[in-house]
Amino acid sequence: MKKKLKVLMIDDHPMIIEGYKNTLLGENQKEYQIKIDIASNCDDAYETIVKSSETVPYDMLFIDIKLPPSSDGTITSGEDLAKHAKELLPKSKIIILTMHREDHRIHNILKNINPSGFLIKSDLTSAELLLAFNNIVKGKAYYSATVNDHFRKMMTNKFSLDEKNLKILYHLSRGVKTKNLPNYVSLSLSAIEKRKNQIKEMFSIAKADDQMLLEEARKRGFI
Amino acid sequence: MQRLFIQLFFIGFLMISCHKSTDEVKIKEDVLKSDLIESYIEKSKDKTTSIEERREYLDKAYTIYSTLVNNSFKIEKLLEISNEYLNVKDYNKYKSLSEKALKLSNVIQDSVNIAKSYFYLGAYHRTTAELDSTIKNFYNADKVYLSLDNKKYEPKDYAFDHGDVLLSLAQILRKIKDYSESESKTIAAIEKFEIVKNDNYLRLCYINLGIVCKHLERYEEAIGYYLKAIEIAKGTDIEIEQKVISYNNIGTTYKSQKKYDKAKEYFNKALSHNEYLKIDPRRRALLLDNLAYVNFLSKDMTNIPNLFYKALHIRDSIQHKYGLATSALHLGEYYQSIGKDSIAIGYAQQSRDLALEIHDNEDLLQAYQLLAKVSDYKTGLGYANKYITLNDSLIKEERLFRDKFARIKYETDEFKEQSIQVSKENQILIIAILGLTAMFLLGYIIFRQQQSNKELQFAQTQQESNEEIYRLLLNQQIKLEEGRQLEQQRMSEELHDGVLGRLFGVRLSLDGINQRANDEFTPSRNKYIEELKAIEKEIRLISHDLGSDTLPSDVAYMDAVETLIKDLCGIHKLNYEFSNDEKIDWEEIPDNKKVNFFRILQESMQNIFKHAQAENIKINFDYEDSNINLTILDDGIGFKSTKVKKGIGLKNITSRVSQMSGVVQFLSNQGAGTTVSVSVPV
Repeated sequence: MKKKLKVLMIDDHPMIIEGYKNTLLGENQKEYQIKIDIASNCDDAYETIVKSSETVPYDMLFIDIKLPPSSDGTITSGEDLAKHAKELLPKSKIIILTMHREDHRIHNILKNINPSGFLIKSDLTSAELLLAFNNIVKGKAYYSATVNDHFRKMMTNKFSLDEKNLKILYHLSRGVKTKNLPNYVSLSLSAIEKRKNQIKEMFSIAKADDQMLLEEARKRGFI
Repeated sequence: MQRLFIQLFFIGFLMISCHKSTDEVKIKEDVLKSDLIESYIEKSKDKTTSIEERREYLDKAYTIYSTLVNNSFKIEKLLEISNEYLNVKDYNKYKSLSEKALKLSNVIQDSVNIAKSYFYLGAYHRTTAELDSTIKNFYNADKVYLSLDNKKYEPKDYAFDHGDVLLSLAQILRKIKDYSESESKTIAAIEKFEIVKNDNYLRLCYINLGIVCKHLERYEEAIGYYLKAIEIAKGTDIEIEQKVISYNNIGTTYKSQKKYDKAKEYFNKALSHNEYLKIDPRRRALLLDNLAYVNFLSKDMTNIPNLFYKALHIRDSIQHKYGLATSALHLGEYYQSIGKDSIAIGYAQQSRDLALEIHDNEDLLQAYQLLAKVSDYKTGLGYANKYITLNDSLIKEERLFRDKFARIKYETDEFKEQSIQVSKENQILIIAILGLTAMFLLGYIIFRQQQSNKELQFAQTQQESNEEIYRLLLNQQIKLEEGRQLEQQRMSEELHDGVLGRLFGVRLSLDGINQRANDEFTPSRNKYIEELKAIEKEIRLISHDLGSDTLPSDVAYMDAVETLIKDLCGIHKLNYEFSNDEKIDWEEIPDNKKVNFFRILQESMQNIFKHAQAENIKINFDYEDSNINLTILDDGIGFKSTKVKKGIGLKNITSRVSQMSGVVQFLSNQGAGTTVSVSVPV
């Protein structure tokens, strides 16, 4: 008797869901009988999650980060959705699958959701997906190499940059001016300047300009 | 330098003092000369010496005179000499000297002497009986004196001379029977003589007035004037003479009124001055003849013809032809009245011959009239014709003369007016020319001003439009950039979320299927799946590159600047280095500053291309203490900053920098390149 698993896959690209299905339902995987539900936007996903929380909860949720937002605007991404899911379906395993590989995003997702699985789509192969799936079902967490890399960098730096600092670095690296940063990071300009100086001190390049700061941040893997 | 100046001053001073002393010498000389002239004139006035001697003295005076300097004094002396020539009856000299005096006076604009000269010339023409010239000159003299009345001269100084002119003129006018004009001139003369209280001339004036009034048939007035003349002469040595003259005149006045008794009374009154009449037989004869004629006219024949004969004898004895003609005529009339025509013809013919001889037309006329009456019918008719012809010709002559006189008067007036007119016209012409010149100059200045204003305005508008064009260009570029950015953003997202997602899905599916179908092709399919993964990565990178482009507006300006540098250096084949401080927020810098920086850069680079012969250029925009510093450096030949006067290029740069209240420095040395550094506060 195969173990029954109820899975919700949330992605706005039917092609990707097709890919997941092709991997999970293939011949390689014979241990589980998997029932797969699909949602392609935040509204549908949320509705389905709420419904399942009232009936039979999902064992596993595949959540994409970039999703069409809900019609009421309260849920704008997979991240938000995951937060709700953690509340509504506390026992469900959450696997984040995303194209984004930027450190600060990874950092944020890890911090806010602490998912059972964290897979970067661009790294992903079907074998890895299968591996991750099997691990997670057995209660082990699985992270993509990129995510693990992120962890490693955090460890070697002996210090960590919080989300805001990472955001500052990220936007600077995109070419945003310091004085325009308050539009991107919810901090005042003086606070941003202070944080920049703190980062420089941490990098022990106190007198460096923005260009050097960014170079150092890249080297250290914060960008 | 200073010494030279002092020397020059000293020499100048010497020259002035020398000049002074020569002047003094000249004045002394002149005084000596004039003394000599006066002594000669005095000598010439001595009537005891012969006329020839007196003339010689005058000639001597005149030779000395001619060495005098031209001034009023000289002319006065000349007129004095001239007057003396008149006294010695040398009329030609008198005339020529008077003319000379007139010319000289005109040269030095001495009005008093001009008038005097005219008067002298008039007097000369009076002696030659050229009445029109006489009147003309007298009138000119009068005009000049009248013009003096409003000027600086004291009226007393020339009142006598003016009066003299007026009286002379009045007498001439009376002779030509222009009585009213003569009267007005006499009255004017009286005014003048009253000023200088000259009784003798006043007396002459009243006599003239009396005669004029008699002719104008204002008999009472005439008698009044004659009596006034006596009154004036009272107490003087000519009282008796004046009485005789006045009584005679009053007598003739009454005679004209046909008041014969009154006339007889006055003639007798005059004749009572026996003492005086003894030395003046001519007047005695006149009085006797007048008395006799009045008696004859009043048909009182008691002393007739004895009285006529008495007068005739006296006149005959002194050969007074004028009187003789009259006496003969009167006798003729008498004999005709008593019917002795043959005797009457004799006297009448005698009178006619005398009158013809002395050109006494009045007596001649009456003689013809008498002859016509006393001759037989045929000869009488001839005389009557002669009478009519002569009378007509006299009337005609009189009329002609009056016309001529009127013309003279008009001419002198016109001459005066003309000269005024001419001077006025000249004045108007000068004013007009000056005015026109001034207007032309003003117009030219205004024109130039407007022209340069226009040029300035044109340059200004050109500058403005240049900057406007640049601004538009920049805005256009920003918009374009924005559009491009938006498009890139869209493409980035499309690639990342759409293409990349689907590609991932496809790869995953393929991978999954590949895992299931294990055959000999699995490795090669795996290889292609890996390839797909690589493609995904590439697409993601492209998407990232597209999406992470810097914000548009900051870049647009620097893009424009860099494009400029790149293009210009490309054309002139120069290497360039360009750096822009990221701290400069070009988005926030006002457009005019951006434009100015752009133009400064352009101008400086033009200078480098034209003059520097450089190979490398380095251009930096730096941000320091709220200042934007633009440095343009080249490795060309440079220039001596002291030697080069600022060309239009450098001037433009300087003016632009000062417009932005910044500082500019041109640092250069020969062979050491040039640095232009501009510092402008943000």
